[in-house]
Amino acid sequence: MGNKQTIFTDEQLDAYQDCTFFTRKEILRLHGRYHELAPHLVPMDYTNDPDVKIPLALIVNMPELKENPFRNRIVESFSEDGQGNLSFNDFVDMFSVLSETAPRELKAIYAFKIYDFNVDNYICKEDLEKTLNRLTKEELTPEEVNLVCEKAIEEADLDGDSKLSFADFENMISRAPDFLSTFHIRI
Amino acid sequence: NLSARARFQAIRSLHMPFNEKKTISEMQFLNTDLSLSSFTFLKVLHDISGLISPLFQSFRRFRASLASARQHLIIWQGTLKEIGCRFGTSVLSYFLFLTWLLKFNLFSLIINFCFITIPQIVHAPNISSITGFRGLELLTGVGYFNQTVLFYGGYNGEVIVSKPAYNMQLAYFFTVAAYLVLCGVSLIYSMSRSFQKNFVLETGPVSGGAWRLLCSWDFSVVNESLSERLQEKNKMSLSDRIKHLSLHLLAWLLFLGLALGSGAGIYFLGTDPELVSSFTASTLLLPVVVSLINLIVPLLYSLISKIESYSNPRAKIYISIVRCDHCFVTVTRIITDYTWHRINRFTFISLFQNCYSVIGTMCIQSLGVPEFDIARNVLDLIYAQTLDWNLLLPLLPVMQVLKLFIIFYMKKISLSMNCQPPKHTGRAAQIQTVFIALLFFPSFVGALSMVAFTVLKPSDQCGPFQGLDTPFHIVFSWTDSLPENHWVGWIFENILRSELFYYLISLIVLVITYFLWQITQGRKQLIKTLREGIVNEGNDKAFLLNKLQNERRREMASFRPQVLVLMCSVCSASSLHLVVISKILYSTERVECNCGDFSPTNTRIRAPT
Repeated sequence: MGNKQTIFTDEQLDAYQDCTFFTRKEILRLHGRYHELAPHLVPMDYTNDPDVKIPLALIVNMPELKENPFRNRIVESFSEDGQGNLSFNDFVDMFSVLSETAPRELKAIYAFKIYDFNVDNYICKEDLEKTLNRLTKEELTPEEVNLVCEKAIEEADLDGDSKLSFADFENMISRAPDFLSTFHIRI
Repeated sequence: NLSARARFQAIRSLHMPFNEKKTISEMQFLNTDLSLSSFTFLKVLHDISGLISPLFQSFRRFRASLASARQHLIIWQGTLKEIGCRFGTSVLSYFLFLTWLLKFNLFSLIINFCFITIPQIVHAPNISSITGFRGLELLTGVGYFNQTVLFYGGYNGEVIVSKPAYNMQLAYFFTVAAYLVLCGVSLIYSMSRSFQKNFVLETGPVSGGAWRLLCSWDFSVVNESLSERLQEKNKMSLSDRIKHLSLHLLAWLLFLGLALGSGAGIYFLGTDPELVSSFTASTLLLPVVVSLINLIVPLLYSLISKIESYSNPRAKIYISIVRCDHCFVTVTRIITDYTWHRINRFTFISLFQNCYSVIGTMCIQSLGVPEFDIARNVLDLIYAQTLDWNLLLPLLPVMQVLKLFIIFYMKKISLSMNCQPPKHTGRAAQIQTVFIALLFFPSFVGALSMVAFTVLKPSDQCGPFQGLDTPFHIVFSWTDSLPENHWVGWIFENILRSELFYYLISLIVLVITYFLWQITQGRKQLIKTLREGIVNEGNDKAFLLNKLQNERRREMASFRPQVLVLMCSVCSASSLHLVVISKILYSTERVECNCGDFSPTNTRIRAPT
């Protein structure tokens, strides 16, 4: 392990390796990508832990996120202030959860947070309607949207409060073997 | 008390922002479970352990570098990631299948090489008749090549004189048998594992679309048809239905006609007496024709299927797989009726076929940019693998491995140059199961049935089984040659050749299967009951909440606001208060008076005036 890099101290890299699903090389590569997003804002030297946050507008322009209909919600749910401004730790955290090796439960937790637009710990009908509109790029008529969301809630809601709690969501996800492979962004 | 590795995995899976995880992992490092209140003590310990931490650090770093090195060993990982990124998971499934086949063939290559080819190369047999080498032999495979290790004729059945005598005939027979058995076992194992992962959990109402709503996020694939799929589609009129049915019927008739026509053509070409056994280029006619058919007919099938419209794109893929597979199976069964010479040519030709198809896709771009036709490509792979199994030559896995390598890169290049991302997403998780099942059922089982070669008389001039009645006789002669009470001979005579043994085995296997099946049924029942239990709990909760709310509402309604006069018992001053009586009765609220305070016990409540 040549210590040729001067971006992080070894302790910092070890901490990143312990707390995320990335290896050393990938973390350095991630830092390169983070720096590319805002070269004037992000210092190359992270040894003294600078407090730098990149705003939402720059992050959603990344090629990995650009095509994704939920890019704003994704970045918001990983940011500390809820507004979408990510520090490097949040950035690494985000791609770690979305990587291949993250376990299903962790992904389910964050998927729930992403689909919960009004951040009330429940996926209610309005959240589902927004989801559907983003997925279909508003091609459905409002009646169709209404019908689909009602059916979805009827099917998935087990305790009858006409909104999906995390338990309902997780139960529905467990029936879809595709979830783990599609909830995944490669970087 | 988890191991260090499990602990770190648990930390990584915590649902917390990064900084908190970092703190926890630092505390974990000291392997304590003290409470947070002894934080300062921990800090001191941490500073002290800074002296010995480099040891732990370097150990952890070593382990991390091992993990990243292991990642490099996974072949083609970077390329697979890139393909999945740009084209979605369903196209990626084809490449994953290709990788799986490659590993499979590498494994069989190792077996064959060790036991058969190396001894043969080391003790090269006398080549009986050497004809001159002409360039055509590269394609036809007769003549010079016939006596080399590449083909069947290069193996002779002599016993190699070395320290323990190595019987080539036995080696060939047993290696091929073991190889087939291992293939079958590993196929069944892979199939059952993917089956279990993907299908077994689908109890309950899966026909609904709710999960699709939340799992359809396949990045960089634009779901133009998602809106159609999410809607209810049972509103077709009668005339529409009839039209669809007639189109389906027409398509199936065309398909049957094509399949029969190509089968008949191949049969007549193959039995044409002029083409049998000659050394000129006309022997190449049959393989070339077959390869052309394999190229063109699936194209025709996809054109045919364009005229039909399918409600479910997954059904479309499966039906096209069924049709193409039928075609391939027909072709394969017919051509494997022939002798070894001809079949050898097919492998060379199929390699060229792949080249042609790639070059063809690169040149022809008239109909717009094509999509990557998953079904056809998968069937190409399966066809090649079937040929491989049918021929049982020791060195075929080498060719297969090389071919798969080349195919991977060719397909990748043609994909990136030509194709656009697919418009429809498929349920890619189950596709791997379907592919492996397709590989197993038609191809492998077909190949097994061709192992009827063990009861046919092998050729007299070449090959390792010269001079025997059937290849199976080698086993008989070997057991006869063993000393009297040798344990192998005893096992062979009394167990493997007795029918009772097989009856018993089948009976035991059936009983175990029945038990396992009953266990599965029981578990399904349990899941159903638990699900109902959850629903009932929800109903109970709703009912109780409702009841509670009603009670409280009634309570509040019965107490109207009243005007009360409160009197202080100290100074006897009185004042007017507008209260709800329940509040006064239940609360310990003190109300101030100028002299002291009104406590509820000090007040006298007078009825309103």
